[in-house]
Amino acid sequence: MELAFAGWSGILILLMYGAIMLGVGVATYWKNRNVHESLDEYYLGGRGLGVMVLFFTFFATQYSGNTVIGYPPTAYRMGYEYLVSVPYFILIIMVYLLFAPRMYLMGKKYKLLTPVDWIEKRFKSKPVSILAAILMLYALGNYLLEQFVAIGQGVAGLTGGTIPYQVGVVFFIVIMLIYGWLGGMRSVAYTDTMQGIALLFGVFMLLIGSIIYFGGLPNAADYMQAYSPEKLGVPDGPGAVNWFSLLVLVGIGAAVYPHAIQRIFSAKSEKTLKKSFTQMAWMPFLTAGVVFIVGIIGIAAFPDLSTAESEKLVGMLASAIANQHVIFYWAMVLLFGGVIAAIVSTADSVLLTFSSIVSNDLYGRYINPKASENKKILVGKLVGVAAVVLLVIIAWFPPATLYQIFVLKFELLIQVAPAIILGLYWNRLHPKAVFTGMLVGTVLASFMTFANITPLGIFSGLWGLLVNLLICVIGSLFMSVSVAEKEEADQVVGM
Amino acid sequence: MSKPKKEPIKNGKLWIIFGILFALINPWYFPEGSYQPLFWGIPYWALIIIAASLLLSAFISYVIKYQWQLEEEEEKKEAK
Repeated sequence: MELAFAGWSGILILLMYGAIMLGVGVATYWKNRNVHESLDEYYLGGRGLGVMVLFFTFFATQYSGNTVIGYPPTAYRMGYEYLVSVPYFILIIMVYLLFAPRMYLMGKKYKLLTPVDWIEKRFKSKPVSILAAILMLYALGNYLLEQFVAIGQGVAGLTGGTIPYQVGVVFFIVIMLIYGWLGGMRSVAYTDTMQGIALLFGVFMLLIGSIIYFGGLPNAADYMQAYSPEKLGVPDGPGAVNWFSLLVLVGIGAAVYPHAIQRIFSAKSEKTLKKSFTQMAWMPFLTAGVVFIVGIIGIAAFPDLSTAESEKLVGMLASAIANQHVIFYWAMVLLFGGVIAAIVSTADSVLLTFSSIVSNDLYGRYINPKASENKKILVGKLVGVAAVVLLVIIAWFPPATLYQIFVLKFELLIQVAPAIILGLYWNRLHPKAVFTGMLVGTVLASFMTFANITPLGIFSGLWGLLVNLLICVIGSLFMSVSVAEKEEADQVVGM
Repeated sequence: MSKPKKEPIKNGKLWIIFGILFALINPWYFPEGSYQPLFWGIPYWALIIIAASLLLSAFISYVIKYQWQLEEEEEKKEAK
């Protein structure tokens, strides 16, 4: 990506953002220096996050730099059909309403730390817990990988080759590791707040600049009417099915992100959680909606781009806008800095949850249950750092074959949903049925993804989920749960 | 007198409304490929989808505020 404003001003902004993140992270640590003595303190911020911080840390789990860089090109290619990106973010909050109220209660009652903790509490089954932990770690790892690749592209664009982009990537990852290591969830959540504000500011400046210099939606509509009316029209049959699958897959998938569930446990109170969710329900219009409009404006601003060229749309728009006025010049520098900050904020959340599952659910539960909390935290951090190093290597030297195993994410995460959500409400749900469903769903979804099979145009992850759910329900109906087990389940979920 | 406990999932009526709103945010009920009339350059059907999305957000806000009441009262007492 060639940016008109790339170079030393970019480096300056990156250094500034890096310094602020480090400052926020270290200051948070300074105020809470006992965080390393307790898993609750380190991974959940002592279950005391207030409305604004909780809101921005939820925001960071859903919106990343990719929302800004990747969504406009998709809107550019698909036209109004990609308007689906607005309601699907709203739907995530609707799915939360299915389980978050009770999940918060369970978290408080049983001092739950991770989603796997909940699965263990509910099913008391080693195979189910371990399979769920592996699926989550695997998906989180891929998610992290995606963020590292994106940081590389962002840094390369913003510094315009003034410094090798690897230096930039290492710079941010080291900063992220330092503040994450020091302050845990509190550092992550407070930096998320700063990063979220930077992103929102940049996106709005991009929208304003695009409207001023390229004409708004009416201009884009005139162009589409003349040259590509299909981009304005109601989606056809397959388009509508695609729309539906996206809504369901993202709605459920993003709601059961392990790092998103963990944030439910971090809330200070039910009231705090409710307020943060209410704000989240309106955010899609300001984020996905705004970047969607930017993509549509791009259709008239830079017509006839190939798919590969269109991927650089945001860079082209930003460069053109930056050339017009000095205010926009700096606004666009801030935007790209904000994009990188947003990627870091998503990556740090994912990494923290990754470490917590290792600390609590693998090391703490099975390998060395007697370890002190301090030691469990240390093991989680070290494994986290090792994973980061490995993923950076993969990001820089992508394997020529088998690259597909690094794309599975939603497809796998969504397979944990029946255990987590159904388990909250149905006391007959049988551990063996859950295990079989999860495993079969995972294998089926992975196979269908690799083989690129999408019957009826519905995504492979959803087919996996459907089969998974059927096995869970039918299996549980056939296998009897002993009276004792049922009573135990009643005690856990009964209310 | 404390308010009664409320959990959204236990209230079937809410989910019927969510179902209707879900149906409205899918563009299956417009004639394929149509886009006229345009308002401020936005096709009519996109405006209807946006309106339905706003309704969904509004309804979610309502449910969160008035239909989700599990711990709040007790937490208020704890805080005192």
